[in-house]
Amino acid sequence: MNSVQEELQATYPCRKKQIEELYNLFGYGEEPLVDAVYVYGSSSTGKTSIIKSLLRGLNLKFALVNLVECYTSKILFESILNQLSDHKIDVIKAQPYARCDNMMDFVANLRKCGETVDLSRAVIVLDKAERLRDMDSNLLPAFLRLTELADLSISVVFVSEIVFDNYCYKNEIVTPIKIHFSQYTKEEIIEILCLNFDTAREAIESSYGAELSITEEFYRNYLSVFLSVFHRACRDVSELKYMAKQSFVKYCEPVAKKDCELSDSLALWKHIAPVLKSSLGLLYMRISPTHQENSSTLSITAKDSQVQSLELPYYGKHLLIAAYLASYNPAKEDKRLYMKYHGKKARTKSDIRAKSKTAEQLFTQLGPKQFGFDRLIAIFYAILEEKVDLNSHLLVQISTLVELRLLAIVSDNSELDNRKYRCCVGLEYIEAVARNVGINIKKYLVDFN
Amino acid sequence: MNIESKDILVTRSQLKENVLNNKRVIGYEKQRKQLLNLLKESIYAGESNSALLLGLRSVGKTLLVKSILQELQNDSFEKNAILVCLNGLIHTDDRLALKAITTQMNLDNAVDGKVFGSFAENLAFLLACLKSGSKETTKSIIFILEEFHLFCSHHNQTLLYNLFDVSQSAQTPICVLGITFQLEIIESLEKRVKSRFSHRQIFLSPKEDHTFEIDRRLKRIQNVLCLKPSTRLSKKYVNSWNRHIEDLIDDEKFHTFMQRVLEVDPGEQTLNNLMFLVVSQLNDRKTRLTLKDFEDQYQLLESEDIFRLIRDLSVLEVCLLIAMKHYIEINDTFTFNFEIILTRYNAFVNSHSNIQEFQRATVLKAFEHLQNLRLIGPVSGVGLSALQKEYQNFELLLPPEQIVEAIPKLNYLPTEVAQWATSDLI
Repeated sequence: MNSVQEELQATYPCRKKQIEELYNLFGYGEEPLVDAVYVYGSSSTGKTSIIKSLLRGLNLKFALVNLVECYTSKILFESILNQLSDHKIDVIKAQPYARCDNMMDFVANLRKCGETVDLSRAVIVLDKAERLRDMDSNLLPAFLRLTELADLSISVVFVSEIVFDNYCYKNEIVTPIKIHFSQYTKEEIIEILCLNFDTAREAIESSYGAELSITEEFYRNYLSVFLSVFHRACRDVSELKYMAKQSFVKYCEPVAKKDCELSDSLALWKHIAPVLKSSLGLLYMRISPTHQENSSTLSITAKDSQVQSLELPYYGKHLLIAAYLASYNPAKEDKRLYMKYHGKKARTKSDIRAKSKTAEQLFTQLGPKQFGFDRLIAIFYAILEEKVDLNSHLLVQISTLVELRLLAIVSDNSELDNRKYRCCVGLEYIEAVARNVGINIKKYLVDFN
Repeated sequence: MNIESKDILVTRSQLKENVLNNKRVIGYEKQRKQLLNLLKESIYAGESNSALLLGLRSVGKTLLVKSILQELQNDSFEKNAILVCLNGLIHTDDRLALKAITTQMNLDNAVDGKVFGSFAENLAFLLACLKSGSKETTKSIIFILEEFHLFCSHHNQTLLYNLFDVSQSAQTPICVLGITFQLEIIESLEKRVKSRFSHRQIFLSPKEDHTFEIDRRLKRIQNVLCLKPSTRLSKKYVNSWNRHIEDLIDDEKFHTFMQRVLEVDPGEQTLNNLMFLVVSQLNDRKTRLTLKDFEDQYQLLESEDIFRLIRDLSVLEVCLLIAMKHYIEINDTFTFNFEIILTRYNAFVNSHSNIQEFQRATVLKAFEHLQNLRLIGPVSGVGLSALQKEYQNFELLLPPEQIVEAIPKLNYLPTEVAQWATSDLI
């Protein structure tokens, strides 16, 4: 076993197989390198960092380019060449190693670069390679056979999240050697998160003082509690790491307040369960959950607070509700829904069929339909108890709603008569608005009647 | 470092070198002769020619041409001919191709003083250079166009038209050789281009005769995996290694295994990848190749990547996939949106008390993750961009059968979810 390999395996636990596969391809000196390797796997499974430290550890010459940064192929070519040729960009003149507008220039310059610098075992790493699909169509096949095209023994490593079959048809391009970085299992995640024990202890000490000393066993228990909530929704290690750090201080709170013992895991669970559940909704958002709890009690949901923070005028709210109703109800039902004396409606065969519709074909699930201005105003007066004049103050509120992106104009902008709109808010949001003005929105929705 | 492990390092590097830079072409004698004659005629007799070399991906077209050119390369070649190699992947339009032709024909000096205003002028100059010579006095020019199909998509096929035109008229002798894997490429040539093409097509395809093919392939493997005597290895070691490879290849099981590989993919790329991976595994603890190594690696190569991707999903994401599968099967449709899937998923959660319930935002995140992994994709249509993302229509990008097939392999799934996937009652 080689020292580079051992070191990597110590730094990146649970990646033994992948490191070995990569090492077999790149590790041995004086060997020619394979043309192209495709590395794929979910995010934060260590693809890029392992490749980077491996190549660095082996002292290979490499260029690592993230394709997110390269919105044109020119930038891609030039940054590869800059890195391979160790070109230092002059601050005053800011010239790249060579100007490359297309693949031909790139290959020519690469050859030229190969004359001065030894490129015989160089590696080009293209991170986020799925972006290649949106770039020029010749890039991917050309990079796959760069060795052949440039007549240099250069190896290209593609790092991506999606499978190779998504790139194009199988017979169009040669298939490279593929290495899969599998997702960590639950046990492996605990193992990896445990490496952070020291920082977690420091966080506890800084917030509760040094007298609260926790053991690694305690931390491990916390992690398994934490994962029992989070693991089903998310397996992304870096995200879990962040979330675990967020709630750990909260987890230790009852111990610090001397409410319970360190060993009393049941009481700790009771305390932490609601906190974890609420922070589950903040996954991937990187918002600290503590801010919300301080400001209000837990009973108010996120949507409610959102509605409160955007305080619309009274009639504005009614207009929004009317717009929602117009978007999600068919126009022929309007008479039945909003008129006091709409007469008896004969039940037709199609009504019965409509009633037996499966839950999936409800109007609220197929998306908003467009509606005209007249219909909006009609529904507005129907749901509003009092009488108000239709004046410019009222009409300007419609424009406000459009400006706030709560409504969208569907018809042509030049058209002024009977404009068409569509409502852009969801059911949860409109329920909160309706509660605010004392309307039971479900009463007016066909889906719920 | 002891002798043993040093030997194996040298072996590794030599074998890898063999796999990657294998120059020897085995078989295709007839095609080789045909091509060789063709080139010789243009080089030495000054005849103009055009031909297409057709064959599936990685059967060795370029390799064949390269080996022929190497055979021709000698003093009289230099005197009689100029070689111009173009590749459709690099020379993506005619302007670039012209530039490359100029450079490769060493005409840079002639061009130097002139400033070309347009593509047409440049082309006219180049053509004049080509036309000025007579049949007897000038060097012949050999054009090799790799990825020929890409040249066909150039604007008006100007380059191809002019090359073929020169090859038809009695001017400077040129030979145009196109190489492509698209067997029906001649159909995509424009009429005026087609009529100037000689319609000489050389097909490079594996023979129908299977025993012949398998013999050819085994010979190739032996050629690659056997060590050549070198100063760095003792003779005894080389002999014992080669004997071990011969034993492996003679094995009846190895024979049938290779037959299977061949039947799946006649191209050389899979075989090359396979051999490279197997050789990569050699180290001081593992000093010999066995049939099992080949079989294991082949299984890895051929296994469906999509299953590994599904195995990496979280329980929530798998649940969403199942909900999608049920929805499109029941309603006999291809499209769905997030709201529909969410309702279906919630119905499932509510009927099973011990399944943890998630907030809407969390489910939406999982849905978007599936989109990022290209397991589902948005259906393009008019005006859809104006819709909120919850109502955007999506379609599954993998067959529903694959979901069903993948589920039993996910050992971390709760039993309810696994049962939900296969049940008909939803």
